[in-house]
Amino acid sequence: MRSRYRHLLAFTLPALAVYTVFAAYPLASSIYLSFFDSDTGVSRWVGFDNYVYLFTNPTTSERFWNALVNNVEFFAIHLLVEVPVGLLLAALLTSGRLRRSAAVYRTLLFIPTTLSVVVVGFIWRLIINPLWGLVEHPLLGDERTALPTISLMSVWQYVGIPMIFLYTALLAIPGPVLEAARIDGANGWTTFWRVKFPLIAPQFGLIAILTYIWTFNGFDIVFALNGSAPGPNYSTDILGTLFYRTFFGSSGQVSDLDLGATVASVIFFLILVTTAGYFVLLHRRLKSYEL
Amino acid sequence: MRALRGTVALVAASAVGLGLTACSDAASPIGGDGGKTVLTLGSWRTEDLTMWQDEILPVFEKANPTIDVRFNPINTNEYNAAIQSQVDGGTGPDLITCRPYDVNRAWIGKGYFEKLDGKPVLDKFDAQSLEAWSGDDGGRYCVPTASVLAGFFYNKDIFAELNLQVPTTQDEFLAVLKAVKDNGKYEPLALGSAESWQLAYNGLYSIGPAYWKGEEGRKGLIDGTKKVTDPDFVAAFAAFDAWRPYLPKGHESLKYADMTQLFSLGKAAVLPDGSWDINQVTANGIEIGVFGPPAATAGGTRYLQEMPDMAIGINAASKHKAEAEKFLDWTASTEFQQLYANKVPGFFSMGKEPVKYTNPLAQQFADLKTGAQLTPRLGLDRLSSGTPPFDDEVWRVLQLMYTKGLTPQAATSELQTGLQSWYKPQQR
Repeated sequence: MRSRYRHLLAFTLPALAVYTVFAAYPLASSIYLSFFDSDTGVSRWVGFDNYVYLFTNPTTSERFWNALVNNVEFFAIHLLVEVPVGLLLAALLTSGRLRRSAAVYRTLLFIPTTLSVVVVGFIWRLIINPLWGLVEHPLLGDERTALPTISLMSVWQYVGIPMIFLYTALLAIPGPVLEAARIDGANGWTTFWRVKFPLIAPQFGLIAILTYIWTFNGFDIVFALNGSAPGPNYSTDILGTLFYRTFFGSSGQVSDLDLGATVASVIFFLILVTTAGYFVLLHRRLKSYEL
Repeated sequence: MRALRGTVALVAASAVGLGLTACSDAASPIGGDGGKTVLTLGSWRTEDLTMWQDEILPVFEKANPTIDVRFNPINTNEYNAAIQSQVDGGTGPDLITCRPYDVNRAWIGKGYFEKLDGKPVLDKFDAQSLEAWSGDDGGRYCVPTASVLAGFFYNKDIFAELNLQVPTTQDEFLAVLKAVKDNGKYEPLALGSAESWQLAYNGLYSIGPAYWKGEEGRKGLIDGTKKVTDPDFVAAFAAFDAWRPYLPKGHESLKYADMTQLFSLGKAAVLPDGSWDINQVTANGIEIGVFGPPAATAGGTRYLQEMPDMAIGINAASKHKAEAEKFLDWTASTEFQQLYANKVPGFFSMGKEPVKYTNPLAQQFADLKTGAQLTPRLGLDRLSSGTPPFDDEVWRVLQLMYTKGLTPQAATSELQTGLQSWYKPQQR
């Protein structure tokens, strides 16, 4: 028995070492950094002062809460658009109507996911450019439409992810089950909602939590399109860009490593608490049907 | 058990390997290279790497065969944080490219730089050129390398076709824009508001000094004798607002690259821009001229934004200060400035000795300096060292003026409130 543990240790050690050096240690040291103030050149332990400052200083907290609300909107749009569209595409791909061209569509739909965000941003910016593009309204220059526009670009890029998740789940449904439904006289619509959908339902929880983690870590598409002080009037500022601006500084802003580390830690805890809550409260109750 | 030992050995070996590469990376700048002293030069201009390596540094190394200078640029956006962590961690370059004003003042405060006061190299520059890199004590820490200017590119063919004269006052400028708009064939002004930095740097900070009287207004804000809500400043914001009817349609989401393109394709008459864009606007071969910011009234003083952009200082922790000083002496020479400024058109020498520019547009830009009062960007000196940073706030309100019709009065009073909330001299 003991030798089994030893082998277990031997096999996990390399991965554990890499993980500790490159993921756990930086994370811990970043959280550690957030309890210091080094504005004067000497690091000084200040406890939770940086957090209090971030949440209550009139100017800084305005940016923080604004970024948080924007981030929630960014997540909501992803959840409400990306998942249903992904489901629709997966359902169409497995409906059997497309026959051999299903593989072609599957590849085409997945291609944007593999593109660089910079390329996606560049293409979309050309498409919606009011001077020589398709849309006359300055979508990215209007406070009301800027964030939804960027979110939808991101949805366009990443819709392949939930699609593939649901697609593989749908493929995994055993043929006899569907055959039985057909013999019982169920049409395509009924089969989908009464048989297939309940079987793939657990996937949605997983997709939702992955989307949450991904959008709250989001940064690149906003930065690629609107820079580190994302306008107009910070309407597209999310936690990732706020962190970047604080930690690395912007043209007119001196970089503040401690406050930057504080923002990073807040993002980390937001994700940690929600994810843990999800797994403890919800994920264990989701029932997979035994087939 | 053997398997375990093997794994541990492997992990240990790779860890040592990592450590060694890290050491050798850190060691190479300090270690000698065949008896030569190696100096490292940190910079944010990654695009200049080959130019320094192939054309500039060899000239210095030929005259100083015992010194080997290595140009080590870091991406612009990460430069500040990277330099800070390098210097704090003891691996900073021997020569550090200095950011102007507040960022650099913070660095000076942390003791990053060797003090240069009393060194003859400073005599090559006048006091105002050195100002951007001085510390709170007035001490000098960096030797200026280059500045950038802001002005207006104009399409000579469109001006000829519509029979327009180069404007010298704000009224004439607006008349030119109106004439182009009435004609309807071209966009009067290539200007988008998606990127707010250029509204400030190429717009307000360019035409504004004519109203707040350059250094008088700028220094007044710094020492607290003037407020952003003073009539001079409101008039400057109003002059900027007066451009609004002449912006292209959908300007709210046009980026800097879009406007440069609009202009260089010959579809717009005037482009408010910085000198650094010379190569891009001339890329399509159209006939382009340059004029300076219009004066507030006819015959009034001409002001020109000269932004100190780059300087080089010696890392206080460097082990090769004597050699680093030799290098700084050389960057202050006319030989270097002639070489450098002509390799990157749009960057100008700040030395007292005049420099000849081979690029005709660069020379036109440099000629604008003659007879004009020079003044740097309004918001970067001291006013942006707190929260909210004044400069970022200027970007934001200017964008709101163009996208949501915020009035000059409202814009300036927002700025004053923000500045007053933390900046001591404005609280009296």
